Amino acid sequence: MKLFAKAIVLLLFSLATAESNDRSGIVVVMSANSGIEALTREQVINIFFGRFRKLPNGETAVPVDQPAGAPLKSAFYRQLVNKDLAEIRAYWARLVFSGRTAPPEQTKTEQEALQLLLEQPGAVGYLWEGSLPPRLRVVFDL
Amino acid sequence: MLGAWLALTLGTPFLAFCEPAPFALSGFGTLAIARSTDGSAQFVRNLSQPEGLGTSWRFENDSSLGIQANIGVREDLEAVAQVVTHYRYDGRATPDLTWGFLRYDPSPTWTLRAGRLGTEFYLLADSRMVGYSYVTVRPPVDFYGTLPFNYMNGADLAVTSLLPSGGLVTGKLYGGVSRERAPLGKDPDFDMSGSVLAGAYLDVHKGPWQVRLSHTRMRFKNDLPLDYLYDALPEATADALRVAGEWTHFTSLGMSYDASPFQAQLMVSKTGNTHAAFQDTWAGYLVLSYRVGELTPFVGLSAAKSSPKRLSHPLPPYTDLYLQDFHSDQRSLFFGARWDFMKNTCLKAQVDVIRGQADSEFLYVWETSEWDGSMAVLSLSLDFVF
Repeated sequence: MKLFAKAIVLLLFSLATAESNDRSGIVVVMSANSGIEALTREQVINIFFGRFRKLPNGETAVPVDQPAGAPLKSAFYRQLVNKDLAEIRAYWARLVFSGRTAPPEQTKTEQEALQLLLEQPGAVGYLWEGSLPPRLRVVFDL
Repeated sequence: MLGAWLALTLGTPFLAFCEPAPFALSGFGTLAIARSTDGSAQFVRNLSQPEGLGTSWRFENDSSLGIQANIGVREDLEAVAQVVTHYRYDGRATPDLTWGFLRYDPSPTWTLRAGRLGTEFYLLADSRMVGYSYVTVRPPVDFYGTLPFNYMNGADLAVTSLLPSGGLVTGKLYGGVSRERAPLGKDPDFDMSGSVLAGAYLDVHKGPWQVRLSHTRMRFKNDLPLDYLYDALPEATADALRVAGEWTHFTSLGMSYDASPFQAQLMVSKTGNTHAAFQDTWAGYLVLSYRVGELTPFVGLSAAKSSPKRLSHPLPPYTDLYLQDFHSDQRSLFFGARWDFMKNTCLKAQVDVIRGQADSEFLYVWETSEWDGSMAVLSLSLDFVF
């Protein structure tokens, strides 16, 4: 029994440390001119999963994904809903091929993502914490 | 098809779909082989298939390839067309236009679609052919197998709103006309075209939970092509077995719980009829999956049980024999795993253990007198999107 308890503690510890590699902070951002001060986790999920893309001020939200291969993208979905990118693609396969909502705008470079966030009204994106460029505002801290 | 898969998955990525281009082409496909352990009845994916699995490996029943074009007409207006080649009612793989509609999104709250649309009887009914979107090789046959309909020509209107207590509620109304056919063994195909479909669902999303209650009605335009039977029976007996002008209704409650890496999905449905040709049926399933890295093992249970209508003018044994053809009384245990071994592509393996009564015939084709209601099915599939 003691051995069993030890094994459980070890397992929990290894899970916790495995998780911590993914735990660098990520923030959800919008343009400082967007008029949006803050979003809740549920609103961020609704926007990025295409369930309801309406901002608190009534405007349409436009979610922006970081480049497909970027560690930031997989870390964002891991921290938001604990899903890996294969699950995210399976999710969108169902919605896209049943003719419903489109997935977030897929950018090719970080620069493109930044540009969309600054110029597209209603754009919602995400960045590593502490790398906030001017004219963007943190609306949710994961 | 393998060449096509390699070229497509290694070529353009699925998420190229998300380019803010006014025109996007994407697709999905499944290459599958499956067999059963019993040659005395053939296992089909759904009742639109004329031949099913026997004791040798077969490629047709679960394989498919779909291409979809999305054309942005305006910011709030999109045209969508989807063509799918799959094993059809006539045994061919002639591509079918499964979707062809205009979608109008005047606001994030309202969506209106008109044209050729997928049928939304149940939670997964309109994405059943997209294997990459779910963990099992095929949607549970005890539950989805009785649905030979994939699309209708019509319209749907959806409205989504935030709930004051948090969460989202979506209501949808849909209606249209079927254009499809279903095979009936050695008899001519059942022509469902012209049959009216109408229904609605209410969907609530809160945290990891999603609950959907739906109700759909279908009014058949044509009778089953069984004139020799109708002609041989007394009129009152034959009339009770006619479907033209009669309704079949589908009511379902679906629940899903998604707390990744764990996922659960539970559905229950009741199918009822205003005629005696098909039997009133209860069906349900539960699937549990747990992702461990690239591997997602799953296990599930499903069941279907029907009861024949009491005929006011029965003519045994003929009417009993007829009714038996539409009877289900079986349950299945299935388990397997999905392996997301590369981007946009996964491999799945599944075993279904089906136990039923010897008179459980509706979900099979070409039963023989040796059919005892039980078999196992082994399946392998490669699913991809591009």
